[in-house]
Amino acid sequence: MLNLNLPALASSIVKSGATTVATSTTQQCYVHPVVLFSVLDHYLRRNDNQERVIGTLLGVRSDDGRIVEIRSCFAVPHFETEDQVEVDMEHHRSMFALHKRASAREQIVGWYATGNKLSKYAALIQDFYSREAAPFNAVHLIIDTDLTDGNLGIKCLQGSPIGVRAHPENCLFLPLPYEMQYPDAELTALQATADSAESDEGYAVMISDMEQLEKSIDELCAMLERVTAYVHRVCEGKEKPNNLIGKYLMDMLAIVPNIDATQFSTLFQTHLQDILMVAYLTNLTRAQLNIADRLQRII
Amino acid sequence: MAGDGKTQAKPMTALLNEDNELAAFDASAVPAQLLPVLDVESSAALRVVRVDPLAILKIVKHARESYPTPVNGQLLGLEIGGVLEVTNAFAVPTQPGSDEDMTQYQVEMIQSLREVNVDSSSVGWYQSTRLGDFLQQPLLDVQASYQASAGAASVVLIHDTAKSEHSGNLSLRAFRLTPTYLDLIRRGSGFTTRDVAAHGLTYANILEEVPVHVAASALGRALVAELQWPAGAGTDADADALQRPSSFNAKLRARAQADDAAGGAGSGDAAGGAARLGSRGLARPMCTGALDLAAGGGGSLARQLEAMGELMDEHAHDASQWMYWKRGEAKVRVQRQQFVQRQALANAAREARGEAPEPVPQDAELDRRFAPLPEPSRLDALLNAANLGLLAKGLTQSRGPALAKMYMAQALHGASAGVSE
Repeated sequence: MLNLNLPALASSIVKSGATTVATSTTQQCYVHPVVLFSVLDHYLRRNDNQERVIGTLLGVRSDDGRIVEIRSCFAVPHFETEDQVEVDMEHHRSMFALHKRASAREQIVGWYATGNKLSKYAALIQDFYSREAAPFNAVHLIIDTDLTDGNLGIKCLQGSPIGVRAHPENCLFLPLPYEMQYPDAELTALQATADSAESDEGYAVMISDMEQLEKSIDELCAMLERVTAYVHRVCEGKEKPNNLIGKYLMDMLAIVPNIDATQFSTLFQTHLQDILMVAYLTNLTRAQLNIADRLQRII
Repeated sequence: MAGDGKTQAKPMTALLNEDNELAAFDASAVPAQLLPVLDVESSAALRVVRVDPLAILKIVKHARESYPTPVNGQLLGLEIGGVLEVTNAFAVPTQPGSDEDMTQYQVEMIQSLREVNVDSSSVGWYQSTRLGDFLQQPLLDVQASYQASAGAASVVLIHDTAKSEHSGNLSLRAFRLTPTYLDLIRRGSGFTTRDVAAHGLTYANILEEVPVHVAASALGRALVAELQWPAGAGTDADADALQRPSSFNAKLRARAQADDAAGGAGSGDAAGGAARLGSRGLARPMCTGALDLAAGGGGSLARQLEAMGELMDEHAHDASQWMYWKRGEAKVRVQRQQFVQRQALANAAREARGEAPEPVPQDAELDRRFAPLPEPSRLDALLNAANLGLLAKGLTQSRGPALAKMYMAQALHGASAGVSE
């Protein structure tokens, strides 16, 4: 157990060796969606009368430590009272060791907490995690699970020592720009989650590729209609043109490759034949398997 | 739910009376929908696997990071009245280690997770696959041990990273071993043609598929909505979005703006609001690669066909091996029959000469002399056929979207050609 006490008086300055000076500051942060879902799950499974939960963020850093990618996290039990906070360090250490075995590349990069603002012990915990994440600065992620402003208010912060002499309980949290990372495989999972959120039953079933394609086409059509309507309105002068949007539309149109018509039709025909051939062969294989199976039973 | 509680109350009270310690347990404090959990003797058939996005994302991440090496891990959750809820998962290290190490790791992990109130009962495991040839002997063995020990409801979730990425559609399937197969291994008589046929085991019913549902918690849904709609709510928030430190990249912001401008302008507040609400369904950052016209063809198709060719070769090999055994067996049988006939003839001749007949050898003696060739296990061949079947089915199904994409590309090309002329 790590006991962190707020000093009773500002004058009780204890010389602690705990002050760390970050060698370089973090400038950009990337967050994987699994981290956010883990935090929410942890919050849902908190103990009775527990207001916030905290945990360790794991991830990778660029060599100079300026770019952090938060890839996963785990929960750490802690206990808060009026003037004291206890963090279960043993749990933190053992979980990290276990994680290390499954994904060796991930290091401790910081910690998360829930709530719409910083907890009053944030500076103390930040100090602890800064030592864990040394030589780099620890990243602090907060999620407002109470939806105070009607949203989850996800924020990334980093601590900066303040004052003439750095004390662990003095810390200035500076906002850190972050971006979500969506690898293709995760996108499919999030898509399924989004489907579940929209369905009336509260869950989504696995759909076939064909159904997924149909849905995507529907979505595409809807987007096209919206963009067309927008362009029309701009052309008619009802809407103020936005250069940024115009630029993206230009880029989009420029993506369509210009292929010679005859070349395209040959490509199309050969590809079509390939597809039909594969469909035919696979069906033939399945028929053969079925026959083999039936024959076996006759024997 | 109240009705459920009533029907389940009986076995539970019986259970409580047997055990003094449990008698102190206040059954009324248990929510009605959790009552079936206490009823340990119930054997409701598993109908559906309900997976939390957290578990899915953990599986997807683990599989993606070590692709193409297949990985596996544990599923944690709870089975309630035929619904298996998978709420969490953790990776099992792939580097070589002794079995004891692995067990130790899993036990420690489950204990650590229990400290933070994560469901600590194992409900199965997951495995990632490539090209869909996951059906292997080790998988069946592991799953058999799960279904024998960790509760009959255990499932194995199969995730295919490449397929998910190519088709833009999450590929996650839940499987269990069928009672037919379990019955066959329990008898331990090996997989001979006769046994397999008698049990009606075919390549198609070694595993049964359980439907997978994705269900998020309320906060999970809020998160997805927020990820889809990064600027928060309302138009004025869009302006803030540019200043907000926590915002999406410029492309997404511009898209959000474009959508908002298109949806919100030119109409009253209510209509604008409705359009925005509707636009949530557009799932902006969630746009998957389903519409990628180039995907699904080329390399992955070639690899799949290659894999299919290999499986077919093996299938033919299995068939010829079986024929070889069959011929060998027939030969032995013929030899045995000839021997018996010769013996009978010799005895008849002896009798004709008035001599005492030689003793006719017993069956056991015959078996010893003409030992029937043991039949090679049919399991390998069955698994091979099953894999081939799965692969062929997957390929057939992927042709539909491929055709649709082809015609889409044609339409797009036609349209762009029309514009350029």
